Amino acid sequence: MDFNMQADTPETSAFRKEVRQWLQENMRGSEKLRWSASWSTRENEEEYRFRRNLAGKLGKKGWLFPMFPVEYGGAGLTIHHQTVLETELAEYGLSLNHVFYTIARIVAPVILKWGTEEQKREFLPPMVRGEISVWQVLTEPQGGSDVANCQTRAIRDGDRYVVSGQKVMVGHHKPPDFLWTLVCTDPSRPRHENLGWLHIPANLPGITIQPMYMMMGLKNTVFFDGVRVPAKYLVGDENNGWRVANTHLELEHGGEGRVGADPLVERVVEYCQKTKIAGMPLMEDDQVRDTIADMMIDLNTLRRFNQRNYWHRHTRNPHPYGGAQQRYFQRVMRLRNGERLQRIMGCDALVQDLSVHEVVDFEYAVRTGPGQLHGGGTLDTDRLVFARRVGLGRPTKEKAPETI
Amino acid sequence: MDLRLTETQEMFKKVAADFVRAEVPAHLMTQWYRTKETFRPEVYRKAASLGWLGMLLPEEYGGAETSFTDCATVFEELGRGPVPGPFFAAGVLAAQIVFAGGSDEQKKSLLPAICKGGSIPIPAITDKAAGWGAEAVETSLTRSGSGFILDGSKRFVFDAEAATGFIVAARTEIGEIALVLVDRASAGLSIKPLVGFTVSAAEVTFEKVRLSGSSVITASSGWQVLSAALEKSLPILCAYQVGACQEIFDFTAEYTRTRVVFGQPIGRFQRVQDHCVDLSVHLDAARYATYEALWRLDSGLPAAAAVHEAKAIASEGYYQACNYAHMVFAGPGTDYGHPLMAHSVLAHTLYQYLGTPWHHKRSMMDLLYPISWIPLAGCLALSL
Repeated sequence: MDFNMQADTPETSAFRKEVRQWLQENMRGSEKLRWSASWSTRENEEEYRFRRNLAGKLGKKGWLFPMFPVEYGGAGLTIHHQTVLETELAEYGLSLNHVFYTIARIVAPVILKWGTEEQKREFLPPMVRGEISVWQVLTEPQGGSDVANCQTRAIRDGDRYVVSGQKVMVGHHKPPDFLWTLVCTDPSRPRHENLGWLHIPANLPGITIQPMYMMMGLKNTVFFDGVRVPAKYLVGDENNGWRVANTHLELEHGGEGRVGADPLVERVVEYCQKTKIAGMPLMEDDQVRDTIADMMIDLNTLRRFNQRNYWHRHTRNPHPYGGAQQRYFQRVMRLRNGERLQRIMGCDALVQDLSVHEVVDFEYAVRTGPGQLHGGGTLDTDRLVFARRVGLGRPTKEKAPETI
Repeated sequence: MDLRLTETQEMFKKVAADFVRAEVPAHLMTQWYRTKETFRPEVYRKAASLGWLGMLLPEEYGGAETSFTDCATVFEELGRGPVPGPFFAAGVLAAQIVFAGGSDEQKKSLLPAICKGGSIPIPAITDKAAGWGAEAVETSLTRSGSGFILDGSKRFVFDAEAATGFIVAARTEIGEIALVLVDRASAGLSIKPLVGFTVSAAEVTFEKVRLSGSSVITASSGWQVLSAALEKSLPILCAYQVGACQEIFDFTAEYTRTRVVFGQPIGRFQRVQDHCVDLSVHLDAARYATYEALWRLDSGLPAAAAVHEAKAIASEGYYQACNYAHMVFAGPGTDYGHPLMAHSVLAHTLYQYLGTPWHHKRSMMDLLYPISWIPLAGCLALSL
């Protein structure tokens, strides 16, 4: 058993040196930037530009998707190289996901698994090199967590699909290049056998995007009004969309794993060391210390779940229920931590005013509690997936879909 | 990074799993827990012959010099039983105390005997029920001629029943903490099993017990020796609790498939599923916190805080795993003939043993963020 993410073989040690030096050069100018969370309304243009630019540079070297084959824009490296990149980026408070927060992190592996050779050669390189932005466009107004109940129609008409329908609560405030979309390709067929996935160029006529102002930031409604999408953009076969969805959803639902830790506890400790009541730092109050201990233990547990899932995913041995478990735990944990932050910090936990405390993002952490209970399917779908994978009340266990 | 067990560990695991199945079948195990006859000398002897006592010790003392994780894989399977007996108390903790603090002579005479199962010294540390820090060591050790007199009472001594002797923490005349070896047959020593919702625990009283000078392991650095030994031992106890949680999870999941009410298996009810999800979170939180602490010990990294964390999570996890399983099993799970009942009473006992989760969380915080300035000192100065 080896949890170490910094232990290098001779091969990765040379790679670490290379990455470290490369980052020293390419992170110049980022010193004063304050990373904001994805989809945050507090994001500023300067830091977004920096991250997109960095993604492009990493992508050129194949480092954005280090384990992807070279012919599709990756670097053909191992899990150990990827871990080096993740841990070195973490030194700057970033991760591969965060540098390039378009949903391509999930879409590209799905295309790698389900796309034809032609599609992989056409669709993957720009995504893998970090040149384009892709939105995941799944949720529908009437469907919610019931993703398979998809009403957006894509009816074949010659060499095109004619797409009509509406998706909600998707994307962010930067325009997409592609919309990665689940559609109903044949309404007459039974549930789960009537779906398809389209990788739709966002500039086609008939697509309208409207902003939605939401708890976690800016999201959008996307309307498709008779959009004519060339058939080559169908990934996986016609009516095979649910199997493609399973790969996608497993990655989105925690199975992706992660290395690196949330620095929330360090920030809270820093705040509690600086803030005094009647001359005594909060950090010396027993109740504050007990609360921080609980927070730390929860965050460490989450870090270990993430690392376990990362290991299982990248060794191609998907954990049977690890994804669903991680996401369920993460959600209830965030709610608990939101309450703990309020208990410790009072209204400072609710306020974005940086002049009150120099540590950013407590407010975001509190808001994330209720705000992220549902993204990508509710807390209850997590538990439903878990039950099927463990085979509760069933003679058979559903297998975790293979991810890449 | 590599989160697999090694081949050796897989082998240890298999041998231990076979042992548990053969030697501790559920119908006997549940009976032992019900009648509180949890020390089974025959089971203990067989385990000794497999080399599971003092596994961590160097070969010269009769141990197998395994890694911490190797040893933990065996204890994880024992926890599935849950196999009762002083495997941990004597075979791990007492062995580590003697190894860390004993004289050469004591090591040579005691450690091989611990490994063979002939000597079963049981640690008896704090006096009061609700304290696991140094301040809770009150039993006194006073000089008398060439020897000592030990006087006091230890409220909660796990596995006392099995003891051939005790390793007792005692306060010396100048307030330091000593560790002494006390033979079970000593005059003035009495053992009173604790009766109630706990198992394998007893109150051990030392009424003016006379000791020779050679029975002292350490006269002044008892707490340091104990802390060092606990750091290396606790993750093994955590592994035992993880194995127990895994067993509970497995038989609970199986029950949701076979128990039919309202015309369907209960696992079809989402509320029942919810209990299983929460159970699994506690199981895996304990599993990976334990593995991480073991890995830190095996790699020579600072481990003290991680060990406190693991003990807090594993004790809490075992306790909660039982509670969630009780929600699923309802009435039948509270029958002493059911394995869950043995787990439940043991989980409550181990929640206390060597410190509650709260104690270990506070110890973890004190290590990571020591309080530099003691407010009490200021108050005292003022009142003087």
